[in-house]
Amino acid sequence: MTATSSTAPKARSRWREWSLPFLFMLPALLVYGLFVLVPIAQAAWFSLFDWNGLEPLNDFVGLDNYARVLNDTVFQQAAWHNALIVLLSLFVQIPFALWLALMLNNRFRGRTLLRLIFFAPYVISEVITGVVWRLLLYPGGMVDQGLESVGGGFLIHEWLADRSIVMFTLFAVITWKYFGFHMIIMLAGLQGIPRELEEAAAIDGASRRQTVRSIILPLLGPTIRVSVFLSIIGGVQLFDLVWATTRGGPANASATMATYLFDVGIVRTRMGYGSAVAVILFIVCLVVAVAYVRLVMRRDTDGAMTAAEN
Amino acid sequence: MSRYLRMGALAGASAILAGTLGIGAVVAQDEVEFDVYDLHTVNPGLAFTQMAADAFMGQNPGVKINVVTLENEALKDRISADMAAGSPPDVFQSWGSGVLRQQVDAGMVQDITDAVADIKDEISPGAMSLYQLDGRQYGIPYNFGLVGMWYNKDLLAEAGIEAPATTWQEFLDQVQLLKDAGITPISIGAGDQWPAMFWWAYLATRIGGQEAMENAIATGDWTGEAFVRAGEELKRLVDMDPFQPGALAATHDEQQGVFGNGEAAYMLQGQWAIGSQRAQSASGQGIGNALGWAQFPTVEGGAGLLTDVFGGGDGYSIGRDAPPEAVEFVKYLVSPDVASVWQSFNDGTLLPTNGAEQYITDPILAEVVQKRNEATFAQLYLDQATSPELGGAINAAVADLIAGVKTPEEMTQTITEEAAAAAD
Amino acid sequence: MTTSTGRTTQAGRRTFRQGLGPALSSAARWIVMLAVAVVIIVPIVYAFLGGFRTTGAIRKDPVALPDPWMVSNYTDILESDLFWNSLRNSLIVSVFTVVIVVLVSALAAYALARFRFPGRETMFTIFALGLLFPAAAAILPLYVLLRSVGLLNNPMGVALPQAAFGIPLTIIILRPFFRAIPVELEDAASIDGCSRFGFFWRVLLPLSRPALATVGILALVGSWNAFLLPLLILGGNDQWTLPLGVMNFTQQYSQDLALVLAFTSLSMVPALLFYVIAERQLIGGLTSGAIKG
Repeated sequence: MTATSSTAPKARSRWREWSLPFLFMLPALLVYGLFVLVPIAQAAWFSLFDWNGLEPLNDFVGLDNYARVLNDTVFQQAAWHNALIVLLSLFVQIPFALWLALMLNNRFRGRTLLRLIFFAPYVISEVITGVVWRLLLYPGGMVDQGLESVGGGFLIHEWLADRSIVMFTLFAVITWKYFGFHMIIMLAGLQGIPRELEEAAAIDGASRRQTVRSIILPLLGPTIRVSVFLSIIGGVQLFDLVWATTRGGPANASATMATYLFDVGIVRTRMGYGSAVAVILFIVCLVVAVAYVRLVMRRDTDGAMTAAEN
Repeated sequence: MSRYLRMGALAGASAILAGTLGIGAVVAQDEVEFDVYDLHTVNPGLAFTQMAADAFMGQNPGVKINVVTLENEALKDRISADMAAGSPPDVFQSWGSGVLRQQVDAGMVQDITDAVADIKDEISPGAMSLYQLDGRQYGIPYNFGLVGMWYNKDLLAEAGIEAPATTWQEFLDQVQLLKDAGITPISIGAGDQWPAMFWWAYLATRIGGQEAMENAIATGDWTGEAFVRAGEELKRLVDMDPFQPGALAATHDEQQGVFGNGEAAYMLQGQWAIGSQRAQSASGQGIGNALGWAQFPTVEGGAGLLTDVFGGGDGYSIGRDAPPEAVEFVKYLVSPDVASVWQSFNDGTLLPTNGAEQYITDPILAEVVQKRNEATFAQLYLDQATSPELGGAINAAVADLIAGVKTPEEMTQTITEEAAAAAD
Repeated sequence: MTTSTGRTTQAGRRTFRQGLGPALSSAARWIVMLAVAVVIIVPIVYAFLGGFRTTGAIRKDPVALPDPWMVSNYTDILESDLFWNSLRNSLIVSVFTVVIVVLVSALAAYALARFRFPGRETMFTIFALGLLFPAAAAILPLYVLLRSVGLLNNPMGVALPQAAFGIPLTIIILRPFFRAIPVELEDAASIDGCSRFGFFWRVLLPLSRPALATVGILALVGSWNAFLLPLLILGGNDQWTLPLGVMNFTQQYSQDLALVLAFTSLSMVPALLFYVIAERQLIGGLTSGAIKG
């Protein structure tokens, strides 16, 4: 029986070291390999061809698709939209989620109910979100009516049809849907911070703000960094909600790289081209992820690394 | 309320269908199963397709029909995906021509020339031709009509307009009159893009005429004078801000709803609008008797004729792996007895079956059919006449023009570039 | 690495509170939270209430309470096949997805957490990479693959890829959790003659219930709400899952706004119910060390 202590013999049992964990990992490897890795590899392969999905795969164009994608103004716009969403998420959504998590961290009556409410949108499907919000944002719909009734009529815009603001409208919907998720993550992290620390600070006369700034935030660091990471990756891959609400319109004003992929690659049957977009998207995520883990999460993973050695 | 009436009509129709004994009975051996990819998401089409399927199954024991109903865009996505994976659907919605050609070239579609030999004479040749490629038949039409200018008589009267415009300049003047009267001139579903394409395509047809249109489709050069001018005329219209609020994001259904609620005076749409504007309206009645239909105005100095039409049809094509019963089912749908039932709904479907016209009770539909039959030239929807690649690009480019993102020159340039890219 | 769960003594909390400012700031806090809660919940409530009105009433006066309360929209839907069929289909697909992803990932996470073998971190990275690939991009090759394996028009054709794409996040969450279980437990188990698998099945899993619940819920929500994959894989109107049913229903009855709202509201209920039931587990699961890496 291979034990986890460091007295395991080397050489011959190197195979035995591998075989048991391998067996445990086998089902995951099979499913993951077949349904994730293989399609990724195939997408990379398809991207080298000019292919409409129907004819045989014989029009090899090498990296031509990639050149076209990177030079396409709509793709560039879409990439900018992704960047915008990521920035807005980092500077608006995450602080907001953190703020609420801090408030919800104390025990008070109705706290569970509030927590439920804040998380509810995350649980609702993107399709339903798109349907309901389209109704609400329709000209003369509930949002417009609500604004008028409180005297904010002058604020009314064509929320989904005005090209200059549709991205921001979408960000509002995105925040509505996903901030609860980040809030829960923060809450979980907050609950891991011992109360005694806060109490000690209070006894020492620290104000709430000082407590938060000097004690809670630093201790919450790893949690925040995870949340930010998920937020960035989510922002780059954004598809479902945008497609369900605006399909990337009007005139690509709300296109993301992923909706661009789907629109040109599948709807317009340029499958090779679409696959190139997919690979580019993947590479972007990869670069972001590696850079993030290396630079930002170094101190978190350092601990994990040393633990891994045991 | 009207929903119950419709239900009653459908009940009656199903009784009639049940009575169409002998038609559609096919010798089916063992269990045969096939899918029907159908885009009728609204009644009466929705219920009708299922009823027709049930009736056919009743007469052909051992046959099982799965009706898959999806909205237009989702349906196109689905068909696309199936084809790309090499497993074409059995019976699927098709608009013919360029897109069909792509599917045929990939070997996804059955050649049904022999199977339809017995009904060929019963169906309008113009409609059949949309599904013919190199002399072989690859689909059966069930709807064949044209795009026209729908208008609201009451709203026009409010603005002091007596009759819909017959020339483009007159039309622009009327748009101004409507705006001055505080009425939204036009309802458009630019969010779905193809309703926008209709405007440009019709203008191009009017300005360039048959020759220019056929030329452009054949050569992929859309930079010709006619197309640029069409873009410029469209831009003149767009600059007048004639559309309903939120038009850029509006879907086709929302567009129909706006018109059906009496919130806009004009709408350029296909013949199905007669039913759609009813179905999508808040009241369920549409604009009732205020509904009028006119042909698209001529453009001064244009080579196209008033009798040139832009439109197309719907049909079903048969997938490569489908059983013979699938073809029989589609033939059943357009057979005179069944077609007459469908036509009697007057929801905008114009059956191409000879004799179906007598079941048209709506005067507007009758007029549409007449103009269709008199057409000197019929230009098929551009996104179907070309290919999914190019068609999608055309739709997007026109939508860009309307959104003010592209100039007419840029628009035609983009389209030509896409055509070149799609060609190789 | 079991941490405090945030429960404090009554006395401790009172001391802490006295250190705070006056009651005003807690009132301000309350107002803000309430305001946010209102904004969050308004669309949901709007949908629910809208279902109780008639379309004409909604168009005339979009913001008003139902009067009279028309239950018929809701009862019509609850009596319709479309709703229950799509509900059932969603349930089938989701259950399969969750069972597969949790089982398969737990096994792998266990290996990655408590075994020592060469290339372990590389293995982990390979799994984690899946997080970076958008499912929308894999749609086409996936579709071709499913066709060749014969899984089209089959709930498993949706469940398997969904599970596959859920493996990265699940392993990422489970691994630190498993690692936190004390080695002593495992040693004790092996002394008692328990195999590693036995330890896994009979000790580790039961102890990890919060974490399992967490990943289970995340997988469930993801699967329940997916619409792209089911759209392309499932065949026939009676195979649709709930989001597709909503989409189709919206198209079919788009003029009947009240009915559409009733349908979307009812579609939200199962997801919200799941969440309410499992909420406690979710917080607990995220707390114990998983997030802190």
